[in-house]
Amino acid sequence: MMLYLQLFWQFFQIGIFSFGGGYATMPFLYEIADKFHWYSPSELTNMLAVSSITPGPVGVNVATFAGFNSGGVLGSVLATTAVILPSFIIVTIVSKTLEKFKTNRMVKGAIRAIKPAGCALLTSVGIKLLFTSNLHLFGTLILIALIITSFVKKLDPLLYLAITAAAGLIIGYLNWIGI
Amino acid sequence: MDKNFYSIFKTFFKVGTMLLGGGYVILPLLTSELVEKKKWITSEELCEYYALGAALPGIIAANTAIFTGRKLLGTQGAVAAVTGMVLPAYLAIIMLAYLFSAIVNIPAIQYIFWGVGIGVIVLLFLAVKEMWTNAVNDKFSLVIYSVALIAALSGKIPLPIIIITSLVVGIFWQKYEDRKNVRKDCE
Repeated sequence: MMLYLQLFWQFFQIGIFSFGGGYATMPFLYEIADKFHWYSPSELTNMLAVSSITPGPVGVNVATFAGFNSGGVLGSVLATTAVILPSFIIVTIVSKTLEKFKTNRMVKGAIRAIKPAGCALLTSVGIKLLFTSNLHLFGTLILIALIITSFVKKLDPLLYLAITAAAGLIIGYLNWIGI
Repeated sequence: MDKNFYSIFKTFFKVGTMLLGGGYVILPLLTSELVEKKKWITSEELCEYYALGAALPGIIAANTAIFTGRKLLGTQGAVAAVTGMVLPAYLAIIMLAYLFSAIVNIPAIQYIFWGVGIGVIVLLFLAVKEMWTNAVNDKFSLVIYSVALIAALSGKIPLPIIIITSLVVGIFWQKYEDRKNVRKDCE
């Protein structure tokens, strides 16, 4: 029972506090991985990759996965509902006061500050991942090469995953590093 | 086409199935389904819902679905839209979850996951870069960004506290700036 309440509450908080869509849920998901061990940080990274090749928003995918991992089918239903429920409440309130909402100075100020804060949380996830993943020399070189080329031409997100998956297979089978 | 619970659910289920590789593809998908094929809403309305959905907390795809569903058929429409949007994601992961434990120890899968871990960092970098260009554009936002980054990296402060604090600071800063501008106008 406690587990289900925790699952619900943690994912409900993601629904309330993640601003900026998709990847904005990641900082919270990593925080949950640290606190509750429903999934490990490396499982989460795998999950993020998997969720870019399965349908639906990343936040929903990970909520389902974490819920299922820790509480079976009931857990997955609870976590998924919990991550959506705040949206339902907030959108209902906002659409009733739409005109006021758009011109309100307080709302403007809040959004101005939340955007950079959300961006900072995402940056912190990137930095933490950089230091906790076992990239080795090859991984680091691939990462640098992909980031530099992204300034010249940004590829489709799926293509980045395809390239790195292929690189992982080649490097793994050639046994260049112990993965 | 008739707007009822089932037709709204079906339309969003279709969009949810095609929603691959992150939420930003949702706008073109919804435009093709709701604006061009069904003619349920105008493209201006859809853009407004999307912009609002992105400004509010939570998953943008879900927010946009709820806004649109509400417009089409009130609360009932909102439930139909968000359930349809989320269900494909839910089912895909449940099916994968069963598969996952069976294949996770195969070496080839582990190599792929090692590689894809790099890809995820690249995608994160691109997401940060894009957020940065439309979020950090003056001294105020740069200060918020820096302080929030240090707080998040410290690992000592819960993330919701960081968000709430910046929200409050933003409201007061906007008030201060507005007052300053009013004074300027009077002089």
